[in-house]
Amino acid sequence: MAWEAFVHQFQGRVFALAYSYAGDREDARDLAQEIFVRLYEARGQWPSGDEFLPWLFRVARNRSVDYLRRRSVRRPASIADDAEIAGIPDPAPGAEAQAIASDRRSLLHAALRGLSAINREIVVLRDVHGLPIQQVASILGVPLGTVKSRASRARVELAARVLALSRGRGEA
Amino acid sequence: MTRITCDHVRAAVLDPATVPGDWIRRPDAVAHIQQCPACRDWLEAFAAGEQAWAAEPADRFVAQVIARTAGVEAVVRDLPLLADMDPGPGFAERVLMATSSKAATEGWRTRVAGAWWAIVRRPRFAWEAAYVATVCWVLVFGNPVGAIDWSATNIRAVARERLGPPVNDLRADLESWRVRLAPGPAAQAGEAAGPQVEPAPPVVRVWEAATSWLRGLTASVVNAIALAWERVTSWSEQPAGGLPAPPGEPPADPARSPQ
Repeated sequence: MAWEAFVHQFQGRVFALAYSYAGDREDARDLAQEIFVRLYEARGQWPSGDEFLPWLFRVARNRSVDYLRRRSVRRPASIADDAEIAGIPDPAPGAEAQAIASDRRSLLHAALRGLSAINREIVVLRDVHGLPIQQVASILGVPLGTVKSRASRARVELAARVLALSRGRGEA
Repeated sequence: MTRITCDHVRAAVLDPATVPGDWIRRPDAVAHIQQCPACRDWLEAFAAGEQAWAAEPADRFVAQVIARTAGVEAVVRDLPLLADMDPGPGFAERVLMATSSKAATEGWRTRVAGAWWAIVRRPRFAWEAAYVATVCWVLVFGNPVGAIDWSATNIRAVARERLGPPVNDLRADLESWRVRLAPGPAAQAGEAAGPQVEPAPPVVRVWEAATSWLRGLTASVVNAIALAWERVTSWSEQPAGGLPAPPGEPPADPARSPQ
């Protein structure tokens, strides 16, 4: 696959992953660019087939951790900027559906930021990007059992936060 | 209707996708949670820090469990919405620019090699190389056969005169480099202990080999020219019946033309 085509195809996923770490659109753009540069540098080592996507996530995750370490600040749990999230285009055709989806995304992002770093990573890799739990454990370097127990707990914690945020915003 | 067990409750909370969405709202499930202290304990532990739940009345606790598990299901269903986000206009171009500049800094060797081979593969490269080599030869060794008497003896003398000093200089340089590259006092002490010969460094060996080869080549060329000239002169002098110069005759001044 040509590099340009690869960038166009994966920019959305890589940016989404970077956003889940950086928590800010501009930082996420910088981080996603760094991830792509790293992928470009390692293009001679790209695995093929089913191994590629987990490898990509591993590279992106390592780069994100380095980026956050350099920035010396782990993003505190903060409410996502609604206007920022609302700027994300939605595939739904109707304006109302788009507004609902944007609001839902904003809510989920805000709730995700309330989780601990490890729980957020587990939810992002497993539930957002759909990686198998074994690969999540491998990428994060933690035992499978830990990921399983934390994944369930993180889901419940996330749902509680979504619920609390929904109530805080006056939703039913 | 199967009897609700603690495992059912836990499975419903841990992975809501495995049970129908309203399973936890079933009266028998709600009744089980209300009556089962083990489930309550487990849910408390599961709530991971939200101990306030335990202090609430049982019916409210159950209501929250219901809301929570329903929320989990909805959240898990919606999370893939976050898997793909638009980074905004111009992002791909920015990445491509960054990676192309990366390639520019990384691949200079490749580019230099490519440019070199593009030059070498041109058909006229042989002519150009020969021309450059000739110019270099003349620049390095001067023109040993210009403005002199075209006799074999003179050519040889001029060659000695012109090529001798540079070769001697090279030898002198080589000796000075040998002295500089000689091992330190410790090694010298080792030398004093016995007739141990230190091998010359690779650079010196290469330089010696190159200069020796160059000297040999120059001598061969000069000898070949001298031999050819002798044959030409002997051939041209034979019909005229002229005699060769007497052996005691001193050679002409090689630096001057006979004019």
